[in-house]
Amino acid sequence: MSKPRIGIYGLTGCAGDQLNILNCEDELLKLFDIFEIKSFVMASSAADEESPLDVAFVEGSVSTEKDLEHLKEIRKKSRLLVAIGHCAVFGGVQSMFTGKKWEETYRAVYGKKDAVSLTRPLPPKPLSAYVKVDAVLPGCPIEKEPFLKLAGLLAKGVVPRHPDFPVCAECKWKENECLLLKGEICLGPLTNSGCGAICPSLNIPCIGCWGPIEKENWEAEAFLLKENGFSVEEVVKRFAIFGGEERAEKLKKFLEGKEG
Amino acid sequence: MERKVFIEPVARVEGHGGIEVFVEGNKVKEVRVDIFEGPRLMEELVKGKYPQEAVSITSRICAICFLSHRLSDIRAHERALWVEPSERTRLLRKLGHYGEMIESHSLHYYLLALPDYLGYPDAISMMKAFPKEVKGALELKKYGNRVMEIVAGRRVHGENMRIGGFGSLPSEEDLDWIAQMARNLISEIERGLALWGKLQIPDYMEEETTFASVWPEDGAFGFSADTIKISDGTELPADEYKTLTNEYVAPHSFAKRCRYKGNPYTVGALARVLLMGERLDGEAKRWFKKYYNQRWWKNPHYNNIAQAIELLFCLEKIPSLVEKIKKADYYEAAPSRESGSGTGIVEAPRGLLIHHYEIEDMKVKDADFVIPTTQNLDDMEKYIRTAAQNLIDKGEKELELPLEMIMRAYDPCISCSVHMVRVRWK
Repeated sequence: MSKPRIGIYGLTGCAGDQLNILNCEDELLKLFDIFEIKSFVMASSAADEESPLDVAFVEGSVSTEKDLEHLKEIRKKSRLLVAIGHCAVFGGVQSMFTGKKWEETYRAVYGKKDAVSLTRPLPPKPLSAYVKVDAVLPGCPIEKEPFLKLAGLLAKGVVPRHPDFPVCAECKWKENECLLLKGEICLGPLTNSGCGAICPSLNIPCIGCWGPIEKENWEAEAFLLKENGFSVEEVVKRFAIFGGEERAEKLKKFLEGKEG
Repeated sequence: MERKVFIEPVARVEGHGGIEVFVEGNKVKEVRVDIFEGPRLMEELVKGKYPQEAVSITSRICAICFLSHRLSDIRAHERALWVEPSERTRLLRKLGHYGEMIESHSLHYYLLALPDYLGYPDAISMMKAFPKEVKGALELKKYGNRVMEIVAGRRVHGENMRIGGFGSLPSEEDLDWIAQMARNLISEIERGLALWGKLQIPDYMEEETTFASVWPEDGAFGFSADTIKISDGTELPADEYKTLTNEYVAPHSFAKRCRYKGNPYTVGALARVLLMGERLDGEAKRWFKKYYNQRWWKNPHYNNIAQAIELLFCLEKIPSLVEKIKKADYYEAAPSRESGSGTGIVEAPRGLLIHHYEIEDMKVKDADFVIPTTQNLDDMEKYIRTAAQNLIDKGEKELELPLEMIMRAYDPCISCSVHMVRVRWK
């Protein structure tokens, strides 16, 4: 059997997910052995962009027309497309819900709409806003263990779903004291697991950087936070950082409804 | 007849950076470093957020420099809100900062820059002739990553460093490991430093420029301060950074540009070593004295060796720093006021990094961030223009690598500098 052909790409973001693949220092050679890597710009200059791919891993959000063209080309030549990292899965911090229109925000930074003529900027969106995404690995950034697990399964032809339990589960396994009960705004119950509850284990409340889980237990979270005296505004503001625009707006409406 | 030389990172063809050289006859008319990396509007995103939330957001600007972003962000907030961190907090931050320098510099100096000078397409092909150097570089990179993991919580976007202190303090066992490994790795760096002496450093781009870096108040070589030093002798308090940066928008770049008194300037390891070199001590000083000459003021290639000297500096300082950390007191510092403004400046591996905040009632009212690559872009264009003009008669093939090496010497950011670039004559 021939080796699966893969490509690893980046759109707009901080390149942290590709960097963490490179940071698999001890496993990197094995990875290069299992797969035939056709394109991985951060590791090698030898890229073959003509070859069809079995799997394309893409990080970053679609933030310019150039990003969009690139994404469509990758989709066309790849059997499976995997979104890696928060930007690709949810849009990244750049797609944060601020209550303002993106165009206004853009003008506030660059002065006018057409200040940069290189390529047209677009409101940042996750890959799924434009193309079919076959699997996801969230995280800001992704972590080594879940990435290696995902890559291993894909090598065997299995397309896994990201587990839909929250950070709280991993936090319990580590036997940490619950930060919500200590009065902190911890987003653990609303956030995808996979990081190993690293922040709560360091006594730092979860900021939600693995993005919102599918089955959000909003009532429980809202109830706990309300009991601890946090306002709807505070909770939404925190959730909005990594919540993706759409969900943050939804959460706001939900919590405001609960208040009324 | 007008010709255009277009250099773009091959591997990231639709990628994030490229160089365009416009040629008329035998004269280079214009050079443009295009930055395609999409806009992320960070300054607007932090508005209305709590200071600690802003710290988490802005460290996402860059993966490889996240720790420097975090440190300058924290410093800005602490100055705005009058937070006096404990001695242990300040020393641990310094240790984390050294970790990032080691990780970033070892990757750039050994794995990205050296292959060019030694005539290899990449580090993997260098393996056969220079196995010890390549393996040593990987060891150093891994060590830098581990230091960041221990101090900052993760290798990328760790959340452990906070305004006023740490989520959790690193254990004594981990600190001792960091100190011991630093001692073990010094010989790896010296091997890499020795290699530089055998290289021919090209001179076809040489031209005077201005340099800027932090200027530590304690009189030591370092990566954070509240003062900026410029090579014309000017010293600026951090809050007056705009006198240096004067940011403007160029139509071919989503990254803004900077000019000092109307001229481009350079930040980074070379700027630091030139401005603070007299403050070095130990073996780092010996290697600096050995290699230093007047060409360093005119030639960005020396940024590479400056990085290697800084690698040695960090490893030499770590053991005594760890001893100080173990003895220093710790407390979590709280804000003394709820409104105010503050600027935090640090040196990211690739140069001076500035975060500025206006805080009102513990919420961000306004913010401004000036990134090292933003400051270097105009000088990068200047040197590429001079090199292209001096080499134009040599033809396409001879132009390719020299221009690419100038861009790479600036270590612009990992996504721009890793891959080979290609010249196309149009």
